[in-house]
Amino acid sequence: MPALAERARGTNFSASMSVAMRARQLRAEGRDIISLAIGDPDLPAPRHAIEAAKAAADKGRTSYPPLDGLPELKQAVRRKFKRDQGVDYAAGEVMVANGGKQVIMNAFLATLDPGDEVVIPVPAWVAYADMARVLGAVPRLVPCPENNGFLPRVEELEAAIGPRTRWLILNFPNNPTGAVAPPGLLADIGRMLERHPHVWLMTDDMYEHLCFAEGGYRGIAACAPQLRDRTLVVSGISKTYAMTGWRVGFAGGPAELIRAMCVMQGHQTAGVNVIAQAAAAAALDGPQDIVAERAAIYRERRDIVVAALNAAGLRCHTPQGAFYAYPSVAAMLGRSTPQGRMIGTDADFALALLEEAGVATVSGGAFGMSPYIRISTATDTESLREACARIAAFCASLG
Amino acid sequence: MSLTAERLDRISPSQTIAITSKARALKAAGRDVIGLAAGEPDFDTPQNVKDAAIAAILRGETKYTDVSGTPALRRAIAARFAADHGLDYRPEEIIVATGGKQIIFNAMLATVGPGDEVIIPAPAWVSYPDIVQLAEGTPVIVPAGQNQGFRITPQQLEAAITPKTKWLILNNPSNPTGAAYSPEELKALAEVLLRHPQVWVLMDDIYAKLAFDGRKIATLVEVEPLLRDRTLTMNGCSKAYAMTGWRIGYAGGPLPLIKAMDKLQSQSTSNTCSIAQAAAIEALSGPQDSVAAMAAAYQRRRDLVVRMLNEAPGLRCATPEGAFYVFPALHGCLGKTSAGGKRIETDEDFVIALLEEQGVAAVHGSAFLFPGHFRISYATDDASLIEACTRIRRFCEGLR
Repeated sequence: MPALAERARGTNFSASMSVAMRARQLRAEGRDIISLAIGDPDLPAPRHAIEAAKAAADKGRTSYPPLDGLPELKQAVRRKFKRDQGVDYAAGEVMVANGGKQVIMNAFLATLDPGDEVVIPVPAWVAYADMARVLGAVPRLVPCPENNGFLPRVEELEAAIGPRTRWLILNFPNNPTGAVAPPGLLADIGRMLERHPHVWLMTDDMYEHLCFAEGGYRGIAACAPQLRDRTLVVSGISKTYAMTGWRVGFAGGPAELIRAMCVMQGHQTAGVNVIAQAAAAAALDGPQDIVAERAAIYRERRDIVVAALNAAGLRCHTPQGAFYAYPSVAAMLGRSTPQGRMIGTDADFALALLEEAGVATVSGGAFGMSPYIRISTATDTESLREACARIAAFCASLG
Repeated sequence: MSLTAERLDRISPSQTIAITSKARALKAAGRDVIGLAAGEPDFDTPQNVKDAAIAAILRGETKYTDVSGTPALRRAIAARFAADHGLDYRPEEIIVATGGKQIIFNAMLATVGPGDEVIIPAPAWVSYPDIVQLAEGTPVIVPAGQNQGFRITPQQLEAAITPKTKWLILNNPSNPTGAAYSPEELKALAEVLLRHPQVWVLMDDIYAKLAFDGRKIATLVEVEPLLRDRTLTMNGCSKAYAMTGWRIGYAGGPLPLIKAMDKLQSQSTSNTCSIAQAAAIEALSGPQDSVAAMAAAYQRRRDLVVRMLNEAPGLRCATPEGAFYVFPALHGCLGKTSAGGKRIETDEDFVIALLEEQGVAAVHGSAFLFPGHFRISYATDDASLIEACTRIRRFCEGLR
């Protein structure tokens, strides 16, 4: 066989996808598996989005979409940014992509040369560092310890910035910890970045509406408006409206960057499925009551899970948003399972939990901070309770 | 310092921006413009496909799927490969992407590094060299003009291959020429390829179902199974099923390559829209009569367009075997002045003057790495085509 490229040899499936695949495999073998591995909301897409998609499919609006998004979706995105974050973007300052992931890939393709650096506070979604590596760039990880509420310290972020730094990536509410930066912290980060004009700032706000903190999540535009000409705000419909499979993400940012991102998307996939775009526009423009209703559901589940995990002996910080819990498994290390597996790492713990107790989670190592596991609460409440009971029994059984 | 990557500078500026923005401006100003520039079918997506999408929406199939596509869709693709070409791809040897373009992007990203060469016969879709350059590779353009039926010869291929060659990209039938290799011609190219085991082959068969005159268009692995373990056989729903906006491309290939592409896709977009995937299952597994009906309509239009263009002085138009394009040579028009007083020195001058003076939008050959020609898409209704060809003839007759 002819050879593969260096960038393919170094790339792997994301840890959460690997776990999900293993869980599917065990299920196919007839095992009773509860998967808390993936951030895929169990709730349905909003009714009006579904109606809009049906209408679009029926109407036969099925020719090539514009690269940067259908005009009506771009308008809905601009209204959304204005409504939620108080920022006015011009039409040339927003773009639509195949999921938030592609927004980030576009931005990285447009800005990263081999050897460039990306500062990523961890724990973080694995994709940031993986994507940077695919393009030959170097992730600089800045730990956000549990005793600081999984939040970054400004001086540590600044210490990670060097001459080759191209991006600082912020993600609040955070995947996997659920941490939410208070407005004061975002403002401080903004002031720090004024000293480093060569650095782009990306805020991945995919979970912005799933925020339980007082006053909700206030985006970067409100806290550091002076950075507008180098800030890219990423969001999408996947998490807010439970529309993961549709693959619609979007971004607002300076026109020059947005234009370059469109060029890059033009060479990867071209535009986004027109039916999904119609559904996305309806979701963004339609009644928003569903957003608060769902945030309340996730909050209730969070309370159930945090209480159960703490009772099981896993120390679990209370997340302020998103639909994840990130308990420490430190107290379980060095112990062994009834089937004789040694728990040396969080990965050992997650694997044994899946194989022996039938609960799929992702180990913290995958997010850049051990020893933790990530639990997704985007599963029906009954399954969550059952999963927590299994986790408690599993922990109690460790010798 | 620049805030953007060098990668951005490697990409050639779009060749079609001048012509498409002019067409848009003229239309906005109320001018009657017939657009023959777009590379997409004018037919609507078949009703059974739309119904399948709506059913999937109502079933709530709106969640993440496997990155490489749902098992059901990959089975449907495997069955289609088997039925159309007798190929035996297993579902795990298949990947579904957001359009054929992403298949190419994934494949190049997975295999091409700095200094690697990719052989691209021209005229060619300009995305091939652009994506190669994005992956830091070097496109090696092999010209194949009308005199050789827009098809490269085995000798040309042999001469273009070096130790650094990573890929040969074949588009059969071709955008922009509509030319297709016969099975014998493919076999002759395969014999060259068998001597060079370091070379991957991308078979872009996206137009293969739009074949004329009773022809059946073969794919490489079908005529030379020995190349199966280094060929990526690519197809999609856009052209055959009039589904451009759904964004479904797919490919079958050797497991290690498909796996590598799968991983890269998991880093850039993950799965293709779940609803589009459901629609694609119906397109590929449902009744295929709409495909034959569309191909028959394209053949009728091809005959119309080829005949009328050859009546225009200075144009020479070959008869394509498939797709929905013609790529006439316009050398006989160069060096002249249009009725509107415009000097025609290049193919781009020709299409711009044609647009301004006669209101017909086409794409100049340079945009396909092949000057001296222009591309007409005849994926539009017969009446518009007759009117457009009449205008083109009038334009050519006005040249002095």
